[in-house]
Amino acid sequence: MLTAAVEGLADEALLKRVCSSVGVVVGQVYGRYGKSYILTKLNGYNHSAQFRHWVVLLDLDNDAACAPEVLPQWLPVPSRLMRLRVAVRELEAWLLADRERIAQFLGVAVAAIPADPDSVADPKRLMVQIARASRRRAIREDMVPSIGSGQQVGPAYTSRMIEFIQSVENGWRPDVAAGHSDSLRRCISAISNLAEQEFDPR
Amino acid sequence: MQLPTGRALRFTSIQVENWRNFGKIEVPLQRRTFIVGPNASGKSNFLDLLRFLHDIVSVGRGFELAVQSRGGVSGLRSLFARRYSDIHISVNIGVDEHPSVWQYELRFNQDNLQRPVIRGEKVVLDGKTLLDRPNESDNSDPEQLTQTYLQQVNVNKDYREIAEFFYAVRYLHIVPQLVREPDRSVGRKDDPYGGDFLEQIARTPEKTQTSRLKRIEDALRVAVPQLEALELQRDPVKGTPHLRGKYQHWRPQGAWQTEEQFSDGTLRLLGLLWATLDGTGPLLLEEPELSLHPEVIRYIPQMFARIQRRSGRQIIATTHSTELLREGVGMNEVVLLEPSQEGTSARTAGELAEVRELLEGGINIADIVMPRTRPVQAEQLSFFADE
Repeated sequence: MLTAAVEGLADEALLKRVCSSVGVVVGQVYGRYGKSYILTKLNGYNHSAQFRHWVVLLDLDNDAACAPEVLPQWLPVPSRLMRLRVAVRELEAWLLADRERIAQFLGVAVAAIPADPDSVADPKRLMVQIARASRRRAIREDMVPSIGSGQQVGPAYTSRMIEFIQSVENGWRPDVAAGHSDSLRRCISAISNLAEQEFDPR
Repeated sequence: MQLPTGRALRFTSIQVENWRNFGKIEVPLQRRTFIVGPNASGKSNFLDLLRFLHDIVSVGRGFELAVQSRGGVSGLRSLFARRYSDIHISVNIGVDEHPSVWQYELRFNQDNLQRPVIRGEKVVLDGKTLLDRPNESDNSDPEQLTQTYLQQVNVNKDYREIAEFFYAVRYLHIVPQLVREPDRSVGRKDDPYGGDFLEQIARTPEKTQTSRLKRIEDALRVAVPQLEALELQRDPVKGTPHLRGKYQHWRPQGAWQTEEQFSDGTLRLLGLLWATLDGTGPLLLEEPELSLHPEVIRYIPQMFARIQRRSGRQIIATTHSTELLREGVGMNEVVLLEPSQEGTSARTAGELAEVRELLEGGINIADIVMPRTRPVQAEQLSFFADE
């Protein structure tokens, strides 16, 4: 069982899906108020990670060119049971990495999905752009922001992403996605590796 | 011109003068709209405007009763208005691509006997004026100015669509205790506070009722995971309807409870879900977040969006909840009420440059808008105990 902190509602769904794919149970999930909220709490989470298994999932966004650059700044001395994992650059990149299924879900051709999602500069924007070209009106209306909303995403974007992550039959497959995203592959192996670490109950 | 069909009409903008605490406001309304503001800034008065339009189209004394039940013209007129000013309401009704299919305008005041009288009533369809009062008929018989044309079936034929649209406006503010004790509101029909909520469910044709309760049961389980089943039952002796929920329990059969034992949050969420499925006209909600867990509240706007995509139905809700605005709510979907010396003003959040800048800077709309609704001296409340 591991304890976790994530940036948002869709991140929580994604982490749970990843963990269940490698047989790890997720206990309490903290955060869900964005990245800066987690960064201010990181020392506290790290303290707890002396005693129990912890995963913190963050987006790299455009804070640095690559994760190794920024991790020592965010958390100089991680506890033994702390795994701070970074998505390059946002969780959408990992979702796009299951090309067939995301194309099917969005109602677009597989060719519209990039082959190397880790290299996409702004995966969320790309996700919305692809949804804009969807054959399905429902996808367009839920995921694409209306003019004047000032938002990056549509009114039911989060709900749609969660639906995609959770659907067992037609949704996201972490193992397939890991084949197209190195950062996801390393995240999954870090979680499986953590699960094998000895638990040191106080 | 070909008028849009297939999508439900909605209020696209509203303009008001001298209504309760509003001096003069003009504000666009989206399909999903959240009204925010400090306590007593007029959020409920804003919703009441739209309820008023629903009330005036009731056949017979609709207009007169709608005014009288609100304390007459002097009760309705804004304190900021000059003494004899008219109350003026004007709405645009349409769809996204064509926001002004219909325009309806009503101007009224009172006569020497304090009876409400119409000073002007106007209906415009796609730019063409269909009605403009006072007309000759009103001039020859001023008594006619005690009724709107909208409420009269024999004259509203050409614009009955507006009358029907107004009539379909629905207001909901479930008070859990009234659902549990329906005796308190005996005889009320379509009580927005839930007095006849169970009767409303019971009146629904059985097939529709069963399928809706099934959907609600699934959705409710998100907030109340121990809920296993939900059904409506009639008391065999008194005939009164009761909702029963089956909860997981240490007994293998589970335990049945009726609405009397449901929690406030369960009843309010149940009422909210039922209302979204029942009817197609604009739905007005008073603080839908009440009694609900913050993590449940965050999903409500997403649920609204998906309901609206299917039905096109407009949902306008007042709120004090940061959580309700956190996931994907647009700056044009938030109406900000701000009290001032000249009455409360109403603007969409998107009209404020500061809001746009902060949103561009990546700040969540909830964290931008809610601080603006905070009372200036909220901290004074903490000093209450000491003189």
